[in-house]
Amino acid sequence: MMRFKVWRSGKDGDDARYDTFEVQPVKGMNVLEALFEIQDRLDDTLAFRYACRGAVCGSCAMMINREIRLACRTQVSLISHYKPMGLKPFPPLQSPVDWDRDSEVLVEPLPNLPIQKDLVVDMTRFYRYYERVKPYLETLEEVGAPTRIMPQQMERAERLANCILCAACYGSCPVCHKNSRYIGPHALAWSLRFIDDPRAKGDEQERLSLVKDQDGVPACEGFYNCVRTCPKDVAPAAAIKILKEKLAQRKLI
Amino acid sequence: MFKHDVLVVGGGLAGLRAALEAQKSCDVALISKVHPIRSHSGAAQGGINAALSATDSVESHAFDTVKGSDYLADQDAVEILCSEARNSIVELDSFGVLFSRNEDGTIAQRPFGGAGFPRTCYAADRTGHHLLHALYQQSVRLGLTIYDEWFALRLVVDDGAVCGLVAYNVPSGEVAGFHAKAVILATGGYGRIYGKSTNAVINTGDGAALALRAGAELEDMEFVQFHPTTLLGTNILITEGARGEGGFLVNKSGERFMARYAKEAMELAPRDIVARAIQTEIDEGRGIGGDHIDLVLTHLGEDKIKSRLPGIRQIAIDFAGIDPVADPIPIEPGQHYSMGGISVGNDCSSSLGRLFCAGEAACVSVHGANRLGGNSLLETLVLGKIAGASAASCASRTAIMTESVENARREEEARIARLLGRSGSESVADIRTAMKNVMTEKFQLFRNAKDMRDGLDEIRKLRRLFDDAGIGNRARDFNYALTGYLELENMLLAAETVAVGAIAREESRGSHFRTDFPRRDDERFLKHTIVKMRDGNLDLSYRPVRLGRFPVRERTY
Repeated sequence: MMRFKVWRSGKDGDDARYDTFEVQPVKGMNVLEALFEIQDRLDDTLAFRYACRGAVCGSCAMMINREIRLACRTQVSLISHYKPMGLKPFPPLQSPVDWDRDSEVLVEPLPNLPIQKDLVVDMTRFYRYYERVKPYLETLEEVGAPTRIMPQQMERAERLANCILCAACYGSCPVCHKNSRYIGPHALAWSLRFIDDPRAKGDEQERLSLVKDQDGVPACEGFYNCVRTCPKDVAPAAAIKILKEKLAQRKLI
Repeated sequence: MFKHDVLVVGGGLAGLRAALEAQKSCDVALISKVHPIRSHSGAAQGGINAALSATDSVESHAFDTVKGSDYLADQDAVEILCSEARNSIVELDSFGVLFSRNEDGTIAQRPFGGAGFPRTCYAADRTGHHLLHALYQQSVRLGLTIYDEWFALRLVVDDGAVCGLVAYNVPSGEVAGFHAKAVILATGGYGRIYGKSTNAVINTGDGAALALRAGAELEDMEFVQFHPTTLLGTNILITEGARGEGGFLVNKSGERFMARYAKEAMELAPRDIVARAIQTEIDEGRGIGGDHIDLVLTHLGEDKIKSRLPGIRQIAIDFAGIDPVADPIPIEPGQHYSMGGISVGNDCSSSLGRLFCAGEAACVSVHGANRLGGNSLLETLVLGKIAGASAASCASRTAIMTESVENARREEEARIARLLGRSGSESVADIRTAMKNVMTEKFQLFRNAKDMRDGLDEIRKLRRLFDDAGIGNRARDFNYALTGYLELENMLLAAETVAVGAIAREESRGSHFRTDFPRRDDERFLKHTIVKMRDGNLDLSYRPVRLGRFPVRERTY
């Protein structure tokens, strides 16, 4: 049997407690499946988000053993063998908890966003900050034919566009923790993704102006937790560094 | 109480595309049980078909689609699908989709199953992800109204036409009425009625069940696609693009067995044929470890795998502990796609007034008895756009009704209160597991009358047990036990429609293969199955296929 120690609370952490559940692990079981097992057999009041169960939809980012992971991508049998992410500590990773690391899996909600219930957090702010960088191409005039783009012209944009908006970066960022106005690594990565798009119509200056203020690029302190937790290797901090250089070149900061 | 001209249910590709279209001329809102970006469209991997090259043609694409459908597709609908394909790609390009490119900058295309030409455009092997994000981003740009985490409970019908719906708000527990002059269902498929499925957990046939209960017709529900290559164990999709890029299949003797099933097309025969071949190898003892076949990619080299197939490489590493650069991927067939759905015409209108439908939830039918890979993403965009235009045009001619929505809301409110107040003797999880086992065992790749009749009896028994199923969770907010209960209710209904359609179709066509009727029977069954609900019972009838320029022939590859 495997013991899961799971955060339970109402809105904003009301009546917080940890419940411990024992689950029989089956071959290849991941944490999301263990949570389903708990919901199905032990306690159907447990709340958590899910959809694809295959690490593409981005619904199930949470804190597992004090690291930020997609629950579906976290193998129960391997969990104790995972290489530590080496996250820069900040309060949610350090808050005291009675937890036996050798025999229990600790499951807690994604930090830095308001808790709605149990493992469900309110993503409103996360989406709002994403929208703030205008994460879209202004549609091109109808040309009637596909554009031509050389493969090497879109390599960086491709990497950035792999973001699944799971908020693992946002939830692991020490700056997001202390400054809820910081728009976050995800938003900045998407900003660069569109600056990098060969089809964008010379709007780099305008796009940069959306991220130049104190809650944008300058807020990043370079902790790199976003790079360590991103399940899609987007490396937001690297994008932020490039944005910084672009802002400096244009004398916007 | 909410009020919009057009309501779209479902935030995947078809729903988003429909909403973007309808928004050009009226007030639209999209309602979805998950945030749109979590929709299952995002899991699509391999690509989207379009005849772009000068040496390819719309006609050739249409022929491949019709032949792939085992001649059950309606040929005028296929014509629309294929002739709009190029426009869809141009539009996606303008929305910012990062299609993979050739060295000369043109959009790259890969070979796919059942296609006479490499016409599948792709963004590495994350095509659905890139398309879904691009469409969602356009909805952000245009300020689309989105009600996310609202679970649709019931369509409201007044005087033979839909006038709105009632939905449950997952975060708050509120039950609210939504008035609309037209409703578009874009809720995806019903794959999760099966145990082994590539589908997201959320693909529970909600649209089919909503429509059926409201009095609309469903079509060809028995045609369920099994994907040949799903990861052994978790059944996560391993794209057909892996074979398109040169991957091949071997049994335990290392034999490329597809040579015995489809001499010309080999691994790139259509999915129904490859899936049955794999299952036959496993059933006849030539599987590896008794339960799977190997998909070999090692010869493609690390560079190609990393650039063209990075997503499935990561999936194999994360979920099976195997790196396809070094080792073959263990695969087995699994449920993948619902060809059947809500019966609609080429304008996406259903048999019920003011109700429209698009995407996997719909049956137009462009896929007939077997869908070709790369045609479902295409369908979401082409038919989604048509559904949006049709609904908007319908809404401009209609006045809004109010009383019946409020009455229905009160009834649903009372039903939810009842469900949350009662203690049942049966477990939702147990019934769900039993249903999945029945469907996986009795309505799988190889079907026969006896198994299917037993299966139907069991599904009906489960539906009766379900009446005594209880929900322990009494909370109004974030009650996933309640949504799980409602989803199971929908799945059981969808499962029964699959069962009755499959039993009545005494032939083998496309994905529907009967060991007791192994031949296609055009005489008796070149027709669509129609299911309707009358007094709580399922009523079967048939409708002719709309044939066209491609004569019905024997199907070999």
